[in-house]
Amino acid sequence: MKSVKLGTGLAFWGDSLRPAIDMVERADIQYLCCDHLAELTMSILSKQKSRKPDLGYTTDIIPFLRGVLPKCYERGIKIISNAGGSNPEACAKKVIELCRELGLHGMKVATVTGDDIMDRVDGLLEDGIEFANTDTGQQLADIRDKVTQANVYIGCDGIVEALEQDADIVICGRVTDAALYLGPMRHELGWAADDWQSLGAGTGVAHCIECGGQASGGLYSGGWQDMSNLSSLGYPVTEVFENGEATLSKTPQSGGSVTVGTVSEQLVYEVLDPANYLTADVVSDVSQIKLEQVGPDQVHIHNVKGKPAPATLKVNMGYRAGFVGETQFTYTWPDAIKKAKAGLEFLNERLAQVDFKASATRVEYVGHNSMWGPEVSDPPDDPEIEEIVVRFAARCPTKEEAQKVFTESVPLYNNGPAGASGIGTRPPIKELYGIWPCLIPRELITIKTTVTEVTA
Amino acid sequence: MTLRVWDLAHGRSGDKGDICNIGLIARSDEAYRTLCRQVTSERLRDHFGELIKGDVDRYELPNINALNFVCKGALDGGGTLSLRSDHLGKVMYTWLLRMELDDE
Repeated sequence: MKSVKLGTGLAFWGDSLRPAIDMVERADIQYLCCDHLAELTMSILSKQKSRKPDLGYTTDIIPFLRGVLPKCYERGIKIISNAGGSNPEACAKKVIELCRELGLHGMKVATVTGDDIMDRVDGLLEDGIEFANTDTGQQLADIRDKVTQANVYIGCDGIVEALEQDADIVICGRVTDAALYLGPMRHELGWAADDWQSLGAGTGVAHCIECGGQASGGLYSGGWQDMSNLSSLGYPVTEVFENGEATLSKTPQSGGSVTVGTVSEQLVYEVLDPANYLTADVVSDVSQIKLEQVGPDQVHIHNVKGKPAPATLKVNMGYRAGFVGETQFTYTWPDAIKKAKAGLEFLNERLAQVDFKASATRVEYVGHNSMWGPEVSDPPDDPEIEEIVVRFAARCPTKEEAQKVFTESVPLYNNGPAGASGIGTRPPIKELYGIWPCLIPRELITIKTTVTEVTA
Repeated sequence: MTLRVWDLAHGRSGDKGDICNIGLIARSDEAYRTLCRQVTSERLRDHFGELIKGDVDRYELPNINALNFVCKGALDGGGTLSLRSDHLGKVMYTWLLRMELDDE
């Protein structure tokens, strides 16, 4: 039976480069698939692009390719990446420069575009596309003037087209995470664009591996103590067969482990209804999935189904949503908690004195309830407690308001209740972006693929 | 000793906008049946209290003994807006693992 061997290179912007370097040296793969984009990433990248037209892609692609490309070139391993972010053309230009620098002539670098609809939003609104928020039902008009970026989650068509044109490196923008894997599956296994069963099965497999080390022992809550050598964790190496089944393993002689348990945990990660896992290419049904341990670090995946792709594609728009002001301070025994509460009161009074404006504030006690907060967990009431760290954060309309949080907490050092410490230095003010999920009919999106050969 | 979800299952959680999904994987077929009976959406909702503002839906993956809970309004506006230290809901599952179960 025909099959294709896919390696997971990166799972997010900033992910470690070593697993991919180890993989191209030691594992038997044909493709290295890399996801660099999370929901917030596109907002960050569009901001960078608006400041400098040759930015707007995830810059980790360059050190990543520097590490893996010579080996990939030698072994004929192709690379599929969404590092293009908001600016696939600028990213591809840098990648071509790198290929030249490394002397890798003849490499073909493809860009896949068509996901960015920012310039079309007003025209589409006039044409009656509502872009209503799929979570809240709100109309786009509520935030239209704050929108900074609008990208459609596109499927794997552009990647398949690039591979048909013999591309060695495919640089995409906001394709779905699954498409990075489904593209090479469709190309190598000859699946039609409407072979829903195969595409559904392939998408289920892609979901298992798209988060890299989370399938091979990273974060494994079912027995983290049994995972050896996590600091050299091996990322998934997956053989996908023509019938849509797959065997998931990892880089030889690497850390971690591939078991039914580790794959199960990844399978339920960031899934809504498992019978209807919506993507641009297909609706995958993983609800009846079967996982079997077929060897050491080898799990066979089967019984995943597919249904026709949805008529609409998901759009994520990013919009400016204010700033976060944050501070933290520590009190110690005796009466650490009483002092912490007095310190908070001090901060709140000082903020009121400077007419502080915030739409929401939050208090967490680090080391006690910082992951849960006041909703489910009060601060400890033990008078003997050695120390307590208070974290105060606020969502503010402007940067100036957000800055007040730290400014007004600094006097805690010498004007507040006895024994405050650990306030630290002024943290950078973080701008907030909201995500506006909405839909667009798929026929309104045209994907464009361009392939460029690297010449001397 | 009181039985907790952790005695029967392990898990993982993550974010999609303001939704946090929590997956539980039972340690045995029998444990899965117990979880199906006892860890209902309503009970989970009560256990999390105000941490989850919206509805909770439960889905079953019987062949891998897993349950998936989709919790709406669970991340203070979503990962990009949330003031919470766990803005991506990475450890939300551990709060569920602490939930106490009834003796059967």
